[in-house]
This record gives sequence, structure tokens and C-alpha cells, in this order.
Amino acid sequence: MRNTRDTQSLFELSRPGRRAARLPACDVPEREITDLLPADAVRQAPPELPELSEPQIIRHFVNLSTQNMSVDTHFYPLGSCTMKYNPKRNERAAAMPGFAELHPYQDESTLQGMLAILYEMQEMLQEISGLPACSLQPAAGAQGEFTALLVAAAYFQDLGETRTKILVPDNAHGTNPASAVMAGFEAVTVQTSAAGYVDMEDLAAKLDEQVAVLMITNPSTLGLFEPNMQQIAEQVHAVGGLVYLDGANMNAILGITQPGAFGVDMQHYNPHKTFSGPHGGGGPGAGPICVTEKLAPYLPAPIIVKELRVAKELRVASCESRERKESRVTSCESREQATAAHNPQLATRNSKLPYFRLDTNRPKSIGRVRAFFGNVGVLLRAYVYIRTHGPAGLRRVAENAVLNANYLLSRVQHILPVPQGNRCMHEFVASASELKRQQNISAMDLAKRLLDYGYHAPTVYFPLTVPEAMMIEPTESEGKETLDAFAETLFRITEESAELLHEAPHTTPVSRPDEVRAARQPVLVWNG
Amino acid sequence: MPYLYNTPEDQQAMLDAIGADSLEDLFAPIPAALQLDRSLDLPPALSEIEMDHTLRTLAAQNAHGGNSVCFLGGGSYDHFIPAVVDTIGSRSEFYTSYTPYQPEASQGNLQVVFEYQSLITRLTGMDVSNASLYDGASATAEATLMAASATRTRKKILVPASLHPEYRATVATYLKNLDLQLITLQTPTGVLDPDLLASALDDSVAAVVLQQPNFFGCLEDAHRVSQLTQAAGALLISAFDPISLGILQPPGAYGANIAVAEGHGLGTPMSYGGPYLGILACDQKLVRRMPGRIVGETVDRHGKRCYVLTMQTREQHIRREKATSNVCTNQGLFALRATVYLSQLGPQGLRETAQLCLQKSHYAAKQLCQADRFTLAFDQPTFKEFVIRDAENNVASLLQSAQRAGYLAGVPLAPWYPELADCFLVAVTEKRTRAEIDGWVQALTTAQGACSKRPDLMAQP
Repeated sequence: MRNTRDTQSLFELSRPGRRAARLPACDVPEREITDLLPADAVRQAPPELPELSEPQIIRHFVNLSTQNMSVDTHFYPLGSCTMKYNPKRNERAAAMPGFAELHPYQDESTLQGMLAILYEMQEMLQEISGLPACSLQPAAGAQGEFTALLVAAAYFQDLGETRTKILVPDNAHGTNPASAVMAGFEAVTVQTSAAGYVDMEDLAAKLDEQVAVLMITNPSTLGLFEPNMQQIAEQVHAVGGLVYLDGANMNAILGITQPGAFGVDMQHYNPHKTFSGPHGGGGPGAGPICVTEKLAPYLPAPIIVKELRVAKELRVASCESRERKESRVTSCESREQATAAHNPQLATRNSKLPYFRLDTNRPKSIGRVRAFFGNVGVLLRAYVYIRTHGPAGLRRVAENAVLNANYLLSRVQHILPVPQGNRCMHEFVASASELKRQQNISAMDLAKRLLDYGYHAPTVYFPLTVPEAMMIEPTESEGKETLDAFAETLFRITEESAELLHEAPHTTPVSRPDEVRAARQPVLVWNG
Repeated sequence: MPYLYNTPEDQQAMLDAIGADSLEDLFAPIPAALQLDRSLDLPPALSEIEMDHTLRTLAAQNAHGGNSVCFLGGGSYDHFIPAVVDTIGSRSEFYTSYTPYQPEASQGNLQVVFEYQSLITRLTGMDVSNASLYDGASATAEATLMAASATRTRKKILVPASLHPEYRATVATYLKNLDLQLITLQTPTGVLDPDLLASALDDSVAAVVLQQPNFFGCLEDAHRVSQLTQAAGALLISAFDPISLGILQPPGAYGANIAVAEGHGLGTPMSYGGPYLGILACDQKLVRRMPGRIVGETVDRHGKRCYVLTMQTREQHIRREKATSNVCTNQGLFALRATVYLSQLGPQGLRETAQLCLQKSHYAAKQLCQADRFTLAFDQPTFKEFVIRDAENNVASLLQSAQRAGYLAGVPLAPWYPELADCFLVAVTEKRTRAEIDGWVQALTTAQGACSKRPDLMAQP
């Protein structure tokens, strides 16, 4: 079934003179290029792109797609990544021309539907985190971290304080210390205890008035809710510092607790994780952040604000323009607004209507971290996800994510001990170190062999604090049968010979690429 | 709930296996005082039909490609997206997968990114490309950090005012708390004056960022800027428009050391500004300073050609605070779309697309400027965008009036350039027809308050 001919490189498939796209003839009077552009600005020959036919292109990429595992084809318990089902209604929403074909510099009067959604998104994220202000601008979780740390820096600068340090527990995502350095701080590591919690003695030793922010992932990358959370936050606040939550693991606590309630001053969300993404083979994500009131003035601009305007002041431009195109007259904007816009007498009776405005006048703002408003296509999918669930549904997401993780933990711990105990939140980190010692089977061997059985591997060798770590996050969108089958497969693999496992996987298109060679003799572009 | 799987019986069996009394019991590790004693204050759940209705209602409140004609640019463009791009981009084996940490389960993604990197180097004339970044602005900021780390003791980044103002703002934010200085050079003629650059260059300058074509659509003297920059020992960062490279000299040809771009024009919709595709390519000697993921070719244990994430010791998940950047994700889905787009267009298709942008934008500028009210703000060669000056200095109401006629007619420059408050920026892509351009001219020349209507000069659609 495997087609290796069409998955040759695009450059091998190319033949001179072949082409797929036909552009329309130029319908305006053409001028000589030399009349329009200086000679030294014009490229001598077109770029050496491959020359292909459309059927060839489709066959190439469709066959390549079949060489991936994905959430839509396989159980994908990749810890810390929340590989839940990606609802198709979200995809359809993001592709609607009324959203996908919006230019970022359209006048806000032509964007009222879009801005209404984004405003509501700000409000909903604030409620879920229990923090009163939100910026939707950051493009990814890591950029959300960076943005929030800049917000903190601006806040302390305003207070006239010079703080130089960011505290980061040793089991945090690598983005945390990297973001701290990019924001101009020194990253200081705080140890975690054998039980997997922040080491309170080490924290006390490192906490002083040079500390701007403690970054904490809670639930942690070990899938544990930090039992001393309140105490930690109190201690950080006592020295004047701020608490940042890496929101990667929000899936476990949706509607159960709010970060604002456990002492968090700022947090990011990973909508591609918590609010069903999708992950896109590595992106795009988005990294909206929520903060406390005192930090709100420093958020990136713009923020969407809702105003009430007297109806006659409102111009519903899109509808007016559509009226001129008879074929396209449909019932469009909210009835209230439409009625007001088209019936001035009624509008004056109906006092005021909502109008959404981009607030760019934010003098204390840290500025921008990217061009344009934000990763709107991702936020729109997250909006549909949240609206589809409602408050009770989001809580059920958290409950089932935690139920599935605990159930899977209970099924695998006799083969793969979980050093941090027999309960977890949305994920757990098992260790293959016993298997390694007794049977010479490593976490990597298990991961590779799972692929043969049709399971994506868990995250392995992270966090670094657990030897032979396997970080398993089943998510709520899997069922008991899947978890049972996965646990049975893991058990079956441990009964296989170590030699077989060292050479696994055996059924995938390739097996155990030579990564050392790739790094030492880098081949980063096609040079055939 | 639509996406849950376990029945109540399953849940009970699972709780029994765990040894938990109830779902609430699973949350016992969260102190009771911290648990919410109410439901989240969110709107109630909507069924798929209700959601669809709500979305359609809201979508209809926006002016968009289906009911308006777009002449807006400034880093986001209404370029055509071939059907094959949507078809491949909708393959859920691509869009529901994640970072290819397990290469055996991800050869599809890995080969696509390798092909993407290869296409980007061929497009730009640069040696290497990463697997992509968030967007053009953050890619520009990352490039300035690369340059600063490569030139070590040099602390200044020079940017002309003709670099996209939101890119400049982004770079400023990234440099803010580091020991680096951003210096903006004014561009009253619409381009960077090489003499002004020469006077600003010294051995404290790490890099010069040049946008080509620049924010105003004008072509900079890239060769001269490059010579001056290199002679001063600084690095040249080129912010290019990928579509323009169908006819314009690529950054590699004028000696750029790092080339960055907003790549959404290669098959990703405008989507109100994101998510987009940050392109970053560079000289071979800078490869280990690159931020983000990189895919390399290698062989598997059977000697078969394959692809892996490589040079990961630059990255945050290995190096933590010593990483070249905090970037974790790339824009995998849009790198895929760009790869399909460039495969579909091929060298001739890209050239023709660029030519259509060039010809149509010049036609549009010429037609509009036949009205006395409008002139080109800058006397410079342009590619697909240009700046129009309104003699009546009434840009806001002019654009509003055109908007009511169904044209998103231009981007006012006042918010970024107070001295250009009487100007607006126009982009014309390969999608615009002569009839649309003529209609746009008409909408602007007959706009309320326009006093210089010259219908005799209007081309007939």
C-alpha cells in the first residue's frame, strides 16, 4: 500500500516545463518591467522552484500525510501537549469567509462581528482564570510567558524597583527560563522535592527582594497540584514579587479552581492544548495572557473595549455595502443592531447599542510582541470550543481528563512505577528505570515499540528530574477501551525481548534515524 | 458533552479501579478553600446548530472578501489561495499531529518541513532556513537578537522608518530589557537615504534592518545599503515579501546575512492578522545561532534516507536559559501550506503572480492619480503597494465613503506617521480585476467631499 515513488523529494519529481498553476492574462495595459523597476532590483532568473503537475502535488503530499501519526488516526498520549480531539466544527468556523477573509487593517466598524467574538473571548478567559484583564496578542505560550515577564518588568520599573531574578522550578518547561533571559532577567532554578513539589526550603533560600517573578506550572509537568500553592504565593508576594502560572496544564482545572484564587498574578493559556487547537504538526498556537488589575495598564496594545453608543451613531458598513449587491442581501447582523441601523426612528427610541473598539491609547503598555491583533484563527477555534461546552461542559472536560489519567495510571503502575505516587491530575510521569535495570528496556525502547502497535509514544525523558521518564497524558476525549488496550499493549511490550525492542519500530516507514549524524553533518536543504 | 467518550458505567468502573469514591475525590489534592464553589460565569453551552447560527450572524457583521473588494496591505495581503493548498492543509494527518519528536511517526511532517526549508533557500538565495517562526514581525525581532549575539560587542540596531511600524514596535519590545539600542532613521523620501545610513554606521552597529519592498511599497537601494552595512562590519537583515521574489532580486543576491518575511501570502488566509508564518533564513555561518526548530536529513538504521529535528542543542527544551530563543512551536501547518503553494505555482507561476501584482498596482496608481485630488506620496519605484496623498487631507472620511461603496480602499497612515496624515497605503494583488480597480478609482474619486471628479478620465469597467 505504501507509495514511495510519489514521496520522493519534490525536487526529484520536478521536470522542466511542467506546471500546475495558470494565472489569468493581464487585463490592464502592460508596461515594460524595465520602465517600472530599476534593473538591479530585478531578478535575472526565476527562483529554482520545482516544476510539478497538480495531480503529482496532491499525490506527493497526501502520501506524506499518511506517514504521520495524528490525533485523528491514533491515540496520542503525548504528555504536556494535551492531544485531545480537534472538533471539526471549529475548523469550519475558522474557514468561514466572514472570519478568514478579514484584513487586519480594516476599519473597526467593518469588524464588529469579529471584535464581538474577541471581546467575549477576553471576558471568558478572564473568568476561567479568575484574573480581570486579558491580552489576546501573544502568538504562542512561550511568547505569552515573554510578554507577561515584560509586563512584570514594566510594573516594577514604574514602582522604581530594580529586580533581576526570575525563579523557575527545575521541572518547568524549558521555555520558562529561556523567556526569563529574553526579558532581561536572570533565571534561577528552584529545586523540587522527591515527591515532585517545590522544595520550600530551597524556595525560601532563593526568595529575596531581587526576585521579580516566580514562574510555576500548576498542575506541574509531573501532573501534580502543588499542595503548598497558597503558601508559595504568599511568600513570593511578601517580598513584593509576582506569581506567573504556565497555563499549559489548564485542562486539569477548568471550572474546578481559578488561578486567580490560588495567588497567581499572571498566566498564559495554550489554546491549542486546552481549547482543542489543533496542533498543526507543530503550530500555530496562541498565547493569550490574563493578569491582575494592577498589571493591566502594561499589557500589549490594543485591547478590545466595549462601548455603548447611541444607535444613530452606528454605521454598519458591511451591511450597507452588501445592500448594493442585491444577490447578497441576507439577514446579517444581530437583529437589534440591524433594526437600529435601518430604522433611525426606532434607533433613537432604543437608546444605546454595543460597539467594540480597539483601544490603542495605552500609555503604559509594553508595546507589541508581533504584528497585527493576534492569532485570531486559533482564538476563534478556542471560542467555538468554549461556547460548545459552556460552564458545566468545561468542568466535565477537566473531570474526565483527570479521571482518564488516574485510571491509566492505575492500569500501568505495576509495570511502570510512578515515583510521585498513585494519584495525579491530567497526566502522570512514569519511570522505566526498573525495566532498564532488570530487562535493559529503556523509555525510548518502549516509546518506539508503541509505534508498532499503533500508539503515538508518550513524551519521553522529560521532565529531566525523573529518570527514564514517560510522561503520559490521555486527555478527556479518549475512552476506557482505548486506555485498557494501551495498558495491555505496554504490558505485552515488556514481555518482548530487549533485542526486538532496541531495533523497534519495525513497521514504520523508517526506524531509528541517525540523529548524531544529522547534527554533526547537517544537511538542511535539498542539494541533490 | 460532544467529545467525551466514557459512559456513566465506564466512569464508575474507572473510579473503582482507581479506588476513588467520586469524581470530586480525584480533585482532593486541590485544597477545598481553593476550589470554585460555583459554576464558571460563562454563557451556556450551544449545540452545533446554534453555534453555527451564531457564527454566521457574527460573520455577516464583518466586511470581507465575499462582500467587499480589498485594497489593503501593510504586511497582510489578499493573495489567491489555490484549492490544492486547502485540500492538503485540511488533511487531518497533518493538522492534528504535533511536533515531530518521534521521527518514525512523523516522516510526513518532517519531509514537508525539509522541503519548506529547501524552497525558502531557493526563493531567497540564502544558505539555510529554519522550520518557521510566529510571524514576520517576531521573525524580524529574532533576527536582530541573532545579529547582536553574532557581533557580540555591537549594541545598536538601525532601522529605517520605512520598515513596517509594527515590526519596529516589535523589535523595540524585544530589545527593551536587553543591553541593545534601537535607532530609527527617518525616510522622508519614502526610502532610506544611503548617505544618512553611512553617517549612522559605526563599529557599535550590530545590524541594519531593511524592508524590501518597504512598508510604503517602495524599493530600497538594497545593493548600496548592503555594501555600506557590510563595510561597517554590521549584518544586513532583509525583511522581504515572498511574492515579490517572483521578479525582484532575492536577499541573497544583495548580500543579506539574515532574511525574514511574513509568509502568510504563500497560501494562508488573512484571518484578521493571524496566525501567520514567520520566515527566517540566513548565512551558513549563522546557522547555530538560529532560533526555533530545524529539520535535517539523515539515514535510519537500514541506511534509508529520512528526516529528523536537528541541532536541538540550540533550543529551549535542551538548553533552557542558554537557548538561542524561547521559541518552542513553529508554524508547521503554514509551512506546509507555503510548501504546497510554492509547489503549485512553480517558478513560472510565482513570476506571473508577481508580474500581475506589479502591473495591476501601477495601473491602479496611474488611474487614481488622474484625479487632481490624488498624487503618489513618493517618487520611487514600487512593486505592489503605493502611498497616495489626498490633496484635501480628508483620508478618514474618504476611506469611509469608499467602504460604503464596498471597497476596503486603503490603510490610513496617520496612526504611525503623523507627517503622512494626508496619506493612505494601497495594495493591489493578482486577484484584483481591472473592473474592480476601476470601481475603486470611481469610489475614491466620487467620494463624498471630493471636488475634483473627472469622469471623462474614468476607464470603463
